[in-house]
Amino acid sequence: MHAVVRRKPAPALSGARRRFAWWLMAPTLAMFAANAVFPLLYALDVSVRNYQLLIPIPAQFVGLANYARVLSDPLFWSSVEVTLWFIAAVVFLQLPAALGLALLFNGLPRWAGIAVTVLLVPTIIAPSVVGFQWAQIYNYQFGPLNYLLGLAGLGHPVWTASPSLALPSLLAIDFWEWTPFLVLLLFAGLSALPPDVLEAARVDGSNWSQVFWRIMLPLLRPVIGIALLLRVLMSFKTFDIIYILTAGGPGAATENLAYYTYIQGFRYFNLGYASALAIIQLVVVAVLAKALIGLTRRPGLASVS
Amino acid sequence: MNRTILTGPAISRRGVLGAGLSMLALGADPRGAAAATTVHIECDAGQNELPFRWQASALEATYGIAPDLVSLPFVGQYEKLVTDLTSRSDAYDVLVFPPYFLGDFQALGFLRELDPYFSIIDPQLADYLPVYRDPVIKRDGKTYALMYDGDLLQVCYRTDLFEDPKEKVAFRQKYGQDLAVPTTWVDFMKVAEFFNRPPNLYGTAFYAQRGFCYAWFVNIFAGLGGHWFDAKMNPGIKSDAGYKALSLLVEMKKYAPPNILQIDYPTLNQVFLDGSTAIVVQWDDLPLKCENPAMSKVVGKSGFAPCPQRSYMPYSRVMAVSAFSKNPEEAYKVAVHMQLPDVGITYVYDPECGEDPYRESYLKASAVKNHLGQPTMSAAAAANYVDAIRNGLKAGYPELSIPGAPRYIDILDLYVNQALAGSLSPKAALDACAGEWASITAAEGQDRITKAYADWVDSFHKVGLTY
Repeated sequence: MHAVVRRKPAPALSGARRRFAWWLMAPTLAMFAANAVFPLLYALDVSVRNYQLLIPIPAQFVGLANYARVLSDPLFWSSVEVTLWFIAAVVFLQLPAALGLALLFNGLPRWAGIAVTVLLVPTIIAPSVVGFQWAQIYNYQFGPLNYLLGLAGLGHPVWTASPSLALPSLLAIDFWEWTPFLVLLLFAGLSALPPDVLEAARVDGSNWSQVFWRIMLPLLRPVIGIALLLRVLMSFKTFDIIYILTAGGPGAATENLAYYTYIQGFRYFNLGYASALAIIQLVVVAVLAKALIGLTRRPGLASVS
Repeated sequence: MNRTILTGPAISRRGVLGAGLSMLALGADPRGAAAATTVHIECDAGQNELPFRWQASALEATYGIAPDLVSLPFVGQYEKLVTDLTSRSDAYDVLVFPPYFLGDFQALGFLRELDPYFSIIDPQLADYLPVYRDPVIKRDGKTYALMYDGDLLQVCYRTDLFEDPKEKVAFRQKYGQDLAVPTTWVDFMKVAEFFNRPPNLYGTAFYAQRGFCYAWFVNIFAGLGGHWFDAKMNPGIKSDAGYKALSLLVEMKKYAPPNILQIDYPTLNQVFLDGSTAIVVQWDDLPLKCENPAMSKVVGKSGFAPCPQRSYMPYSRVMAVSAFSKNPEEAYKVAVHMQLPDVGITYVYDPECGEDPYRESYLKASAVKNHLGQPTMSAAAAANYVDAIRNGLKAGYPELSIPGAPRYIDILDLYVNQALAGSLSPKAALDACAGEWASITAAEGQDRITKAYADWVDSFHKVGLTY
């Protein structure tokens, strides 16, 4: 069965109507230029200068020197590694867990609304509050987690100050905080699946596994793509919990790209270097976003045969 | 950012209306002499803003100034101030910050020179301890700040353990020497190892968290004869003294609580005050808390001494007048009032705040009282405490305060923390840090920084201090 929905192209606008449309869009375009295009061009300009706010020497054009320095900076590469861990956790832990929970709730229509609402609480708490809350939970001496582990005879790990545990501890918070958001998106996607297609598959004798892998998952692909796109972009920007719980430490063990850029820009005020870091991130994020948007555009029903 | 206008008793609406009508009837300007001028005081939030609160009514009564406390978070204070002052914000009149910001702030034109205001009220600088006078508050011969808090690292140890005859015998048997307050870092390590009896007693603890772990490294590094830079701005940490100092600090973790990498200022206080640690190096306000029964389980069981060989002086606080203040004269009055001998004495020994002595006249055992004038220690403990400060300052090792100092220090802190976390060996960490320092020096301008550093070192020599 192939079911490709073709949209009828919109009729072309006449010259006067086209001009009117541009006038209508002008305020939005002006705002976009002021808020997005100008800062981007300014950041590009600063990224090719040795602009340091705290040094009373005029900034000079240095070409791609800041970019070259980024590539040979070990702290940049370690921050890339930390960032990749956050993204990997989204793809390999949060998404499968969220899909599982969404399927579970989809099978319990009576309780699904309440369950999803309760589950969303971590996502709607202010991130700084999440940070402080987990700082208490992870507290070596007074934290409830270590208290319970102590009762069970499992010792008292030093969660956020241990080089081996600090990053997993942050990933666990990220999981707790943002998996419900994915559950919400995927649950909405599952609820919107056409029931006749699922019903037809069951009538044709498909088992649950076949329905899931060959019908539900392909149909959910656009939603999964959107969910991944949003979460991957958010992962790139993870900052609050790092700032509050570890300040990037111990050493630079939990310093991701966003935090490293903040340190260069707002602690050392190396604006040229921080801008180069930001531009590199922008390019990487844009490439990733393009790939994930491609995933969302894949035809849904068309691939179901 | 929190703001608190510190005022006297509240006035009722009827009172305000009545006063307004009276003034109108008399043809007086309601904004006239009776109205207090608001002075915005930036200070890191928490215990360090308390002295301003305690002095609020005195400021209003004496100078007609209503202090408005603008509390900034301790972490991020530098970033916030630089961002605001770069945009010439007049949000602050008085700035309270550590002297290591002073090099940058003066170079960037954020501060007013204070000498022209000295004729209004004499700040009585002759009474300042030499180490805090010219080197800390002056640049190029001009005064840019006044002292608020004189910080110093100091040894606090458990006298009940050190004076226990059984412990003394056991120590002699193990190390072949008397158990005594260590005067070298080798002896400090022996004491820390000897008293390390987890989980009830740990040998030592130190600030190992990111932020200030560099200070505990520099404290040892200075004791081993290290210097920040040589005359050509080559980093002094890339040396045998540096490698040995950081190796000792890493080794010290063995004798510390398991959460050592989480230990910061309050936690370090806590592990000594709760009696679970035998000896610590901490800022010199810990002794005041040790002798406060509301805070401490080791009242009467604590002794204080200078750090082995040299005592590092990290942080401290000064008060300056913002170049963008619209009320510089009133701002100066607030700053000068807070550090006058009879005012400063009310808070430098109060266990509730974190300010420490910076005047010669404060170094008397009889002066150790809280802001209400009540003694905060026994006479013997006070004498011991004041002696420890005096002797520590004699061999005080100054915090770097040249343009770029916050960057040099933060990078050092990062690499010391990496070594403590085990991510890098002490040598690799300090070599990498030295490379970063060289980049900072090059970016700041080799000649400019070399001269600034030489002038800064010279300012210590001029007041008779060894650097």
